Amino acid sequence: MSNKENNPPRRSRRRFLARAGKATVAIAGCGIASYLLYDPTGPRPGVDAEDLVTLPDFSVPLKPGQTMCVVQGPDRTKTVNKAIEMLGGIERFVNSGDTVAIKPNVAFATPAMLGATANPQLVAEIVRLCYKGGAKKVIVTDNPINDPASCFTLSGVGKATSQAGGKVVLPKTHLFKHTTLIDGRLIKNWPIFYEPFEKADKLIGISPIKHHHRAGASMSMKNWYGLLGGRRNVFHQDINTIIAELAMMVKPTLVILDGTEVMVTNGPTGGSVSDLKRANTMIASTDCVAADSYGCGLLNLKISDLPYLAQAEKAGAGATDVKSLNPIVTTVT
Amino acid sequence: MGSVPGRAKHLESAVSFCLLAVLFIIGIVIFIKQSDYDMSRLGVSSTPIELPSQPPTLTREEKPALNSLKPQGFDALSETEVYEPENLYEKINGKAPLYIDSGFVKLFTQRFISESDEDLWMELFVFDMADIGNAFSIYSLQKRPDSEDLADMQFGYKTSNSLYFVHGKYYIELLGSSESAELLYTMEQVADKIIDIFPFDKNTKIDELALLPQENLVPGSTKLYLANAFGFEGLSDTFTAQYKIDGETIMAFLSEQAGITEAKTMAENYRKFLIENGAIPKKAIDQSLEGKTFDFYGTTEIVFSVGPFVAGIHEAENQQTAEKAARLLANKFRMFTEAVSDE
Repeated sequence: MSNKENNPPRRSRRRFLARAGKATVAIAGCGIASYLLYDPTGPRPGVDAEDLVTLPDFSVPLKPGQTMCVVQGPDRTKTVNKAIEMLGGIERFVNSGDTVAIKPNVAFATPAMLGATANPQLVAEIVRLCYKGGAKKVIVTDNPINDPASCFTLSGVGKATSQAGGKVVLPKTHLFKHTTLIDGRLIKNWPIFYEPFEKADKLIGISPIKHHHRAGASMSMKNWYGLLGGRRNVFHQDINTIIAELAMMVKPTLVILDGTEVMVTNGPTGGSVSDLKRANTMIASTDCVAADSYGCGLLNLKISDLPYLAQAEKAGAGATDVKSLNPIVTTVT
Repeated sequence: MGSVPGRAKHLESAVSFCLLAVLFIIGIVIFIKQSDYDMSRLGVSSTPIELPSQPPTLTREEKPALNSLKPQGFDALSETEVYEPENLYEKINGKAPLYIDSGFVKLFTQRFISESDEDLWMELFVFDMADIGNAFSIYSLQKRPDSEDLADMQFGYKTSNSLYFVHGKYYIELLGSSESAELLYTMEQVADKIIDIFPFDKNTKIDELALLPQENLVPGSTKLYLANAFGFEGLSDTFTAQYKIDGETIMAFLSEQAGITEAKTMAENYRKFLIENGAIPKKAIDQSLEGKTFDFYGTTEIVFSVGPFVAGIHEAENQQTAEKAARLLANKFRMFTEAVSDE
């Protein structure tokens, strides 16, 4: 018997229709599943908006004529004490019972004498001053580029902090939370080193003045880079904007910009004592834009050489016209 | 009863299974890709907070070499750290682009601490820069002025707390924790060990250095810009050197191109670049430099080509001295190109 006799046309059509029906059902099923799974809004932030945090505002009330003080002198302890005294004394910045967070630049595991990190004696003096002002607790913290424990140990900041009665807080994953800077372009849903600051009443930044290969200079605004978590090196592509946004994000009580010895070349890590130049200048300010605007002169830079200064000023983070602030300038021998 | 012939049925099934398998594989690939997407690039992040990543570890071949550098009377203060281009910034932060743009391959670092004095320690940085030219570029661009040259090294110097030198493809730094003569001496011993342990063909030279006139050359002033010399994108592999002539310090530069035509074109392009950036052609004292001399914001800039070389003088204070230096350069290159054409 031939195939045609075994498969009459009516049976083939029936089979075709059956198969077509099954295929249609399958396609329709895929279509319905796709419709149900379709997300028209795109990926949502990994952190819901209500879980985003904002750093507290640690600033103190402004006092005209006491925004910034520049003290010339070779001894850091003496110059920083004088600078704070001229701005109203530590009592203006630290109240009885306060928890003070000090954020020095401890970015690298290098010895203090290379000037790549905050001077440990200076950090210790600020810790002591805070206790003198009535602080209940003083923590010293940073999220360094190198291994944190090595940075605090080899820079001497850890030991100096402990000897002065402060407590070093090293970064741990659970201490980070996500934040978004309003009006920011780069700091969006980005992890920041948060919890030590969440519990603090006051924030003091301490940084050296350094040449920086990428940014031009590393001073008090760049110091806040240590608050960023995640793959923060991606921001190097737009270094001026990120530094400006850091100044918008962080409202400190006081910044100490140490120009006693300035890293004039091969920054930010330096490596040789010959990279440093003695400038014998200590700057204390409630305005870190103003502090950096003054400090850049010690690197033989103009304000226009550091675009992030003007960007930060435009965003309302501070003033580059230092003279308008009537800074106090004095000398301590 | 009719049926699909057996062979056709099997073929149908086989094709169907293949199609299903392809669809399945596509689904797996999409699943894997979506589960590991870097959202932070889009400003959204579902990734956990990252602390500084653990650096890659040494291979079994690399480890013994660095461990053997431990000086007598010192202990290893840390594990050997290894950094590659992706994470170099975790060690040297803002300096990383300088190295990466100069051919950086790998960095090994190791700290050693004195057994008798915990305040005395050193850190060794061994940058693999892929070739001697790259290593020399990094070395020269960061060279500290007023430093002391290291004896028996072609490219090496020391400061009061550190040593820096080139060894083949490696650029090496030894940084001390204090300005200690004892520590400096120990670091020099480590440097000697490095030279013994890391193989290097001592015949490897940087040929262009021999092209620079030696007369009046300020020792140790030679630098190599691998790209964008003087801000001009076209000027790569450019050597600069300082000369002391008639009491003035002059900077000369030279860049070898592929051939004579290329050198002429590059010189012309650089002159155009200078003019676009405010340079004004000025009358040369030496007629042979006419059309090649510019006033650049009060300084003298001279650009010319000889054979395959683009060369000139950069930002000189005094035009007369600049032209004298330019003639020295040009004569040297002419002698070289004539010698080459005689071969």
